[in-house]
Amino acid sequence: MKKVTVSICTGTTCYLMGGAHLLTINERLDPSTLDSVEFKGAHCLGLCSNESNGKPPFVKVNEHLVSDATLNKVLDAIRKELKEIQHVS
Amino acid sequence: MSHAGNSRTPELPSRGASEKKQLFKELEFHQVRKASEHTAGDAYMVQKDAENNRLLAVLSDGLGSGVKANILANMTARMAIRFAETDTDFVHYAKVIMNALPVCQVRRIAYSTFTVVDCRPDGSVQIVEQDNPPFILLRNGEPAEIPFQEYSSEQGDYRKLRVYRFVAEPEDRIIFFSDGVTEAGMGSAPYPLGWRTQGCSAFVRGMVADNPEISARILAEQVVRAALQKEPDRKAHDDISCGVLYFRTPRQTLLASGPPFSEKKDREYADIIRSFPGTKIISGGTSADIVARELNLEITTDLFRFRRSNLPPISKMEGMDLVTEGILTLTEVLNLLQGKNPPIQPNAATLLKDQLINSDEIHILVGTKINQAHQDPNLPMELEIRRSLMRRIATTLQEDYFKEVRLEFI
Ligand code: FES
Repeated sequence: MKKVTVSICTGTTCYLMGGAHLLTINERLDPSTLDSVEFKGAHCLGLCSNESNGKPPFVKVNEHLVSDATLNKVLDAIRKELKEIQHVS
Repeated sequence: MSHAGNSRTPELPSRGASEKKQLFKELEFHQVRKASEHTAGDAYMVQKDAENNRLLAVLSDGLGSGVKANILANMTARMAIRFAETDTDFVHYAKVIMNALPVCQVRRIAYSTFTVVDCRPDGSVQIVEQDNPPFILLRNGEPAEIPFQEYSSEQGDYRKLRVYRFVAEPEDRIIFFSDGVTEAGMGSAPYPLGWRTQGCSAFVRGMVADNPEISARILAEQVVRAALQKEPDRKAHDDISCGVLYFRTPRQTLLASGPPFSEKKDREYADIIRSFPGTKIISGGTSADIVARELNLEITTDLFRFRRSNLPPISKMEGMDLVTEGILTLTEVLNLLQGKNPPIQPNAATLLKDQLINSDEIHILVGTKINQAHQDPNLPMELEIRRSLMRRIATTLQEDYFKEVRLEFI
């Protein structure tokens, strides 16, 4: 099955502005969902230097950009992507 | 030393390329006091002259124990250091010290004995002993005999000055100690005459055979511990002191942080890192990305490994020994170097700090591009800009840890 790719920015700015809390995200997903998600760390995605991208921390869930990311926002985005995958398949 | 010589990059300033590569001198000392005393009667002093790379160590043993012995030993050691520092013929001064110090009227024994180890940058070593047990030189793992010249006291007593001269070779170890080591266990059934120099010599030989890279610190500790074990009840009957000087091929580490000022330098930057002949550390996400791009390498970040550490995670890149985030991690490294208690769990900063401490020569390569992100007024003020942070790390390593540090800006 196709997986949802989640890239969490661990650059200095994102980490400081709340990204540190996002690193518990794998504990917030139930094991069955966890199997269909792939987590990746990223260095500064280059988004933090331009205000039009929104506020750090940044997370990318597949192609979808989550700014000012919180655990709940990222979890929502993951669920949304998962649903789409299930629709397609 | 061949590994250091052949792959030096042409970009690096060629300082030192022509002069013979200097051996790193690791000097450590360990001591336990006589069990009944609160003050050590053995004094140990070191003088390290960073400018001309001369190293002086003195171990002096004062008559008796406790405060009196301590004063005698300190006085002797201080005299020896002062005289030796003047860079004149130390043997002459050693005679002066010997002849100036009387022998005890009652016990007819010397007020103090001493060993002075004096190393020059060219690797020549002079050791002057006055009635301390003879030092041990381990060369290729075996105790080596060194010829000496002997001078007698002018006061017609038994005291003698021994002067040894030789040139240090890579992996040489000099082990010197007070008679607390050689006389350990004296009078006991297994060691009627004490551990003696022979016993200690066999012991250090065995230690080095088991662990050829054993550090000076651990070897000195082990000698003292082994001597203490010979003592009845494991209580020291005299001060037990041991110094170890280890000449080793320097361990080199490169710490690179920050992107180069101009993008045109990215390739050069990556090449300096790639061709560095030692341990390679990159601190900074952007810097790591540049190196990965220029050298066509892949970076993977271990998101969850150190997540409880309050520091961003570390990454992996082929050929690199450690890849961390920049400013936050380096700030913590500086705190740790300056004495902050390390956390129980390792993290990026403790790994980095340990690597720096285990190195002798550290090349710090600082990229000077201004990082837009850190101009953000929302960020806490204590975030130092990279340059001054790296300068402080360099100074701390140099002054508090006696590392050879080279700071380069790109
Ligand atoms: S630090 Fe995350 S986008 Fe720059």
